[in-house]
Amino acid sequence: MTTNKFFRMIFFVEIAKGMALTLKTMFTPPVTRRYPLVKRPVQPGFRGLHALAKNEEGKLKCVGCGLCGAYCPSQCIHIYTTEGEDHNKVVDRYEIEVLRCVYCGLCVEACPFGAISLSEHYEYSGYTREEFYMTKEKLLENWDKYFGGDKGARYYRDFWRPKSEDFTAHEGQAMFSKVKVKGKE
Amino acid sequence: MTSILENIVAPGSIDFMLNIGIILLKIAIVIGMGLLHVAYATYFERKVIGHMQVRLGPREVGPLGLLQPIADGVKLFFKEDIIPSESDKPIFYLSPVIFFISALTSLSVIPFFDGFVIADINIGLLFLFAMSSLAAYGIVMSGWSSGSKYSFLGGLRSASQVISYEIAMGLSLVGVMIMAGSLNLTEIVRAQQAYPLGIFAIPQFIGFFVFVVAAFAETNRLPFDLPEAESELVAGYFTEYSGFRFALFFLGEYTGMLVMSSIASVCFLGGWGLPGFITSNLPVFAWKALGLAFFLVKVYAFMFLYYWVRATLPRYRYDQLMAIGWKLLLPLALANIVLTGLVKIWMKGLL
Repeated sequence: MTTNKFFRMIFFVEIAKGMALTLKTMFTPPVTRRYPLVKRPVQPGFRGLHALAKNEEGKLKCVGCGLCGAYCPSQCIHIYTTEGEDHNKVVDRYEIEVLRCVYCGLCVEACPFGAISLSEHYEYSGYTREEFYMTKEKLLENWDKYFGGDKGARYYRDFWRPKSEDFTAHEGQAMFSKVKVKGKE
Repeated sequence: MTSILENIVAPGSIDFMLNIGIILLKIAIVIGMGLLHVAYATYFERKVIGHMQVRLGPREVGPLGLLQPIADGVKLFFKEDIIPSESDKPIFYLSPVIFFISALTSLSVIPFFDGFVIADINIGLLFLFAMSSLAAYGIVMSGWSSGSKYSFLGGLRSASQVISYEIAMGLSLVGVMIMAGSLNLTEIVRAQQAYPLGIFAIPQFIGFFVFVVAAFAETNRLPFDLPEAESELVAGYFTEYSGFRFALFFLGEYTGMLVMSSIASVCFLGGWGLPGFITSNLPVFAWKALGLAFFLVKVYAFMFLYYWVRATLPRYRYDQLMAIGWKLLLPLALANIVLTGLVKIWMKGLL
């Protein structure tokens, strides 16, 4: 045993170093977030609770094409439509099982009309499964709650606006009527 | 007042009755204040360890979480008391009481400030050793009677650990006894006034080191908390206890820590002893209160060391624990006794 090693052993150099570290740590600010009192700010483009968008007239934007339900990897979107007057599609029921949703956001990307969006709201809890079974009425209510005002409008415009608005397609290509087509403004 | 009492009891026995009344009052004060300190020692521990782990510790109950110990107490008191069907019932009921009482009885010989001690007996230090070994009976009996392998192993480990370290701890305090020439704790505090800084920890630094390590093992605290090693034994000897019986073990453990800190404070760090110029210049009440504050500061500094070590060090292996106890601390303590004795004889001019 070298002198150095012996010295380190009898004076507990390692233990003293560890103790100094913990003592130093004691005076650093804690990293605890006092959650219900201090909320964590959500990141831009956060994917939270779903909402069904309304158009300027306050009506449902959804046309019932069913693309969102077809894309949904957890298959938690159920849409039931009937034929209305003058052969329009009428969305009777639009339901999302929120507990099965994985918040991938594919439904939003699939929707050609920007009818479904994900809000910044993430604090929802309840005692029954029914509370998490979102019906059309609840989803429309969510729109008023989380996308109202300037802030909500900006959030929708920045993140959940239909991607197809940015597309330009060839003339003659089959597209939804609202999509801009090159040369046909 | 005296005449009324004389009509009730036989004359001459009034002093006796008054003495008993005063002693009962002292006991009530010491138990009440002691348990309050124990309760807030848990709060202090959680705060200190929390901050050492970059957390906050209790914050929610009351201002700064100060009512947390009371909330914990209320919770433990109203919890369901589960008794395992395989347990040995009378011993199962008895062991937490033994553990708690032996820890609490130790408080009776500790001088909190000049003249305030419930039992100013001449064998104070010996009494403390006796009580701390009696606590081991509570642990062993609880481990045996629970009818659970975890409790049993915890009890066995605790027994061997406490017996091993008791020797080192007892011998480490022999140096103090030689220097003070007494086992009475008040005398020990007085004897320290003649030494630099009024503490024995400087001339008795080897003894103090052995005592600190042995005190950690004796109270089953980290890094020697093998009897209640969570990762191996669930909770050790009190695995099967719940509700108020568990609370007794919990309180007993923290009272034991408080007692060990008090012994360290009284025997090595000067206790309530104050320098002569303070005692001669201040009124009696003021310097006694100052002495109590001084004593408590030392006790809490030692408690802080307990928490600090708990937040820093991992648990020792069992063979390492035994090796430290028998191969390091025991020879050190014996060497300390020989050294102290030789110096004492040399000082008296006999060598």
